[in-house]
Amino acid sequence: MTHLQQVQQEVIERLGNLSVTARQAVESVLAGQHRSVRRGLSVEFAGHREYQPGDDLRHLDWLVFARSDRYDIRQYEEETKLRALVILDASGSMGYGAVTGTKFQYAQALAAALGFLMIRQGDAVGLAACDTAIREFILPAGTMAHFLNLLAALERTVPGGDTHLAPVISEVGGRIPRRGLVILISDTFDDPDRLLESIQYLRYRKQEVRVFQVLDRQELSFPFRGMMEFVGLESEPRLKLDGDRVREHYRRVFEEHQKRLQAGCHACGVRLDTCWTDEELVHVLTRALNWQ
Amino acid sequence: MIQFLNPLLLGGLAAVSAPIVIHLLHRRKVKQVDWGAMRFLLELLAQRRRRLFLDEFLLLLIRALLVACVALVMTRPAWFRPSAPGGLARQGGAAVVLLVDDSLSTSAGRAQTAFEAMRKLALSYVRSLARGDEVSLLLMSQLGTPPGDPIFDLEGLKARLGELKPTSAATDIPSLVDAGLAQLKRHVNPAAELVILTDGRNDGWHSDDKVRWDGVRERLRGPKDAMPGGRTRPRVIVLAPEATPPDDNLAVTEVGADRTLVSAGHPASLRVVVRHFGNQGAREVEVKLAVNGEVVGSHRISVPPGGQAVAVFEHTFDTPGSYGLEASLADNADALPADDRRAVSVQVEQSVPVLLVDGGAASGLAGKLGFFAAALDPGSGGKGPFQVTRVSLAQFNPAMLADCRVVVFGDLPVLDPAAVEAVGRFVVGGGGVLVGLGPASDAALINRYWARDGEGFLPCALGQPVAPRVPATPAGLRPGHPIFGAFGAAGDEAWKEARVRSYYKLETREARAGEIETLLTLDNGDPLIVERRRGLGLVVLDATSLGPDWTDLPLQAAYVPLMRGIAGRLGSFVMPPRNLRPGEPILYAAAKDTAASITATDSSGRPLKLTPGSWEGRDAVASEPLTEPGVYTLRDPRLASPIRFAVASAPAESALDPITDREAVDLFGGPAVLFHTPERIAAGLDPARRGSAETWRWLLAAAVGLLFLETLVTRRESAARS
Repeated sequence: MTHLQQVQQEVIERLGNLSVTARQAVESVLAGQHRSVRRGLSVEFAGHREYQPGDDLRHLDWLVFARSDRYDIRQYEEETKLRALVILDASGSMGYGAVTGTKFQYAQALAAALGFLMIRQGDAVGLAACDTAIREFILPAGTMAHFLNLLAALERTVPGGDTHLAPVISEVGGRIPRRGLVILISDTFDDPDRLLESIQYLRYRKQEVRVFQVLDRQELSFPFRGMMEFVGLESEPRLKLDGDRVREHYRRVFEEHQKRLQAGCHACGVRLDTCWTDEELVHVLTRALNWQ
Repeated sequence: MIQFLNPLLLGGLAAVSAPIVIHLLHRRKVKQVDWGAMRFLLELLAQRRRRLFLDEFLLLLIRALLVACVALVMTRPAWFRPSAPGGLARQGGAAVVLLVDDSLSTSAGRAQTAFEAMRKLALSYVRSLARGDEVSLLLMSQLGTPPGDPIFDLEGLKARLGELKPTSAATDIPSLVDAGLAQLKRHVNPAAELVILTDGRNDGWHSDDKVRWDGVRERLRGPKDAMPGGRTRPRVIVLAPEATPPDDNLAVTEVGADRTLVSAGHPASLRVVVRHFGNQGAREVEVKLAVNGEVVGSHRISVPPGGQAVAVFEHTFDTPGSYGLEASLADNADALPADDRRAVSVQVEQSVPVLLVDGGAASGLAGKLGFFAAALDPGSGGKGPFQVTRVSLAQFNPAMLADCRVVVFGDLPVLDPAAVEAVGRFVVGGGGVLVGLGPASDAALINRYWARDGEGFLPCALGQPVAPRVPATPAGLRPGHPIFGAFGAAGDEAWKEARVRSYYKLETREARAGEIETLLTLDNGDPLIVERRRGLGLVVLDATSLGPDWTDLPLQAAYVPLMRGIAGRLGSFVMPPRNLRPGEPILYAAAKDTAASITATDSSGRPLKLTPGSWEGRDAVASEPLTEPGVYTLRDPRLASPIRFAVASAPAESALDPITDREAVDLFGGPAVLFHTPERIAAGLDPARRGSAETWRWLLAAAVGLLFLETLVTRRESAARS
């Protein structure tokens, strides 16, 4: 049993019948509760859009293909479910973990748990794993087979590369035409201004955005004593510093970053949920799913 | 200008590197850690790199400066403000060595003695000192004794100066300066002053001894980088009363017999030399001579100005033993009464048994020692002062040494080892040996068994035999030596006709060269007669033959007095010496178990304190240094008669000619300063004109400040860390 499968098992056991609720931007709810204004895979034709990997080939408009040599998907008005896209930060910094595993492992589990819960209640979940570029992209879908693909993609992804979330998020935002839910799982070790700009862009695109900031406790406490050589997990230069001498300054910079991020998220109506790698996953999920 | 008073401790500055090394070692002990949140570290570095570096550098700098300050405090840096040329402004605390010439001549003077005038100068100088100045007081008369530590009690010093009196010591300014330089090393204050308090008499400066003064000047200059006025290059101040014209002064400069061996029962001529050191006309004076305290004669003599006169007293010593002769001038009112008396100790022998070991035939003028035997005992009757026994080498038995005081070897090829050992013991035990060489002498064997690289009884090793194409002439006798006493002033003339055809070159510069005294040299500079003390005895070595084999000296008139002089010296030679200089102690060789029963008294009958000690590796008793001239008496219960010691001041002390200011300054070769009056001292050495001082207090304060700062910075960091 893989780590992710273990997580799934645990999540299943401990989350029980918890349901995912949407907010104001998502007009549709689970089947039978709301009528969606979104185009989807229904019987009432609503238009075309370009084919993207993960689309069901049954909805490919072969006539358009014959005429224009383009792969277009026929879209219909239908009763839709929640369409969520999990953006997983796979940059090198996510590979840090001092006590209970790396931040990326925690993020993987979180993404899988959220995806599983949403699939289980019939919602559609997609995945975008990225660092400086998009490394995996799976459009949201609601089948268990799709979820297994998503899990496989999660397992394939390893942390590496620099953190440049802002342009990647903007790019992802362009690929998801429908309004839905974007879940960003990241340590957010990026320029907060640019990151907030990209989140703002998602909001402009009518996306509900939730940010799960995954951190290690040591990244807050900075417990290092004496001379240390800090080796970056991305492409930063090595730094020789006296941990005792820089601790205070580090904490100040870190807290400033957090404040700016929190203030920025609050300003654009985005929920920022900071979770620690030593924190029980179920608590995070409970906190996230009960959030109004 | 900064000078380090403890320059050897400058090496301590290397400790400055300790904080840096610790810092670098600390930086080398780096643990590596993979870190995700590098952007925050980079961000804080971008904001605070300079501040972090400054904090670290500041702490390192504080610690290094702290160590440097402590190290510098140990080196005692002193700041000197250069004074104007010839200026006398003192620089900081003064380290003064006050060198007092308390020699015999300082008691000269009629209304006021030179010493009283010197005392006033000294007190004036001491008044120019300030609290914290340290002073050492060295007296000419106590140069042989270990000096005390410097004192800070100026009032006590004034009291001590008030108690000082002239002694009978001889002036030796170069030695006094050297002692002062040595004493300066015990001082701690930076501004060093060698103060010479003298009566300004010329003779004691030894200004004609260029070698000594060159050495003194070099030592006064100190190392190249020495700071003028510092302890390695002290300032020299001469305090001398105003020079006065030479006054009338008659002095007894010499007392003694006309021969080296005075024998009991035979009349001896006792000579008293009186010298006139003034220039105000001839002086008539009555000379008295006392033997063992009893006046035996009186003569009135006239002494010409700048010259001398001799009073001769015929006296017969009835019994052998030690006698004390004391000559005095009666009714002589001159500038220096202290030199109107002089004492001498004379050893009187019944007759001296002399053993001649002849390398040839042992009879008549034949053989190697025929002429020598005739010189000592012309009638061969043994009625003179010498009882001569003459044997051949074959007849010589070491047991014969027990019955003689002097043994003479004449051109012996070799001695058997037992005999060599017996001769060695004979010499160490107080015997006298004269060795004459010749064609039969084997230099290799003599060097191997008699010289033994300075360990044998022979004074020195023999070099190559020399036979100059033109025979050499004896010349250059050692003036004043007892063996030449009979020649008087005509010493050099006596040898004019003598020729030395062959001789051995003596290796007087080899082992124990310092103990060898050359008595007579040839005109080519090679030594002819040398002597060396060995234990209680004495050995004389003649480089040529004692007979006519290698020289015609036995045919010259000078031969008889010379040989009698040598034999007499060897026969009456007494060790340890009994004629002493002021400041020397009585030394008497005595076994430990008898030391307690030996007593001694001074000329007034006051007992002297004797302490057991050693002399030349033998048990001996010693007295305190004797300061008063006169005759001292020592009684050994084992001896029938007492032994007399005499203390006499140096005759040169009677010459009162002053040294000129220029001469005195030039001798020091530097900016020596002379003061003649207390007023000049007060004006020139005002204590209020102090210059700079030692800086260690400031450095210590800086170190404390840095320590405080370091604590603050460290606490701030600790607070940040916690």
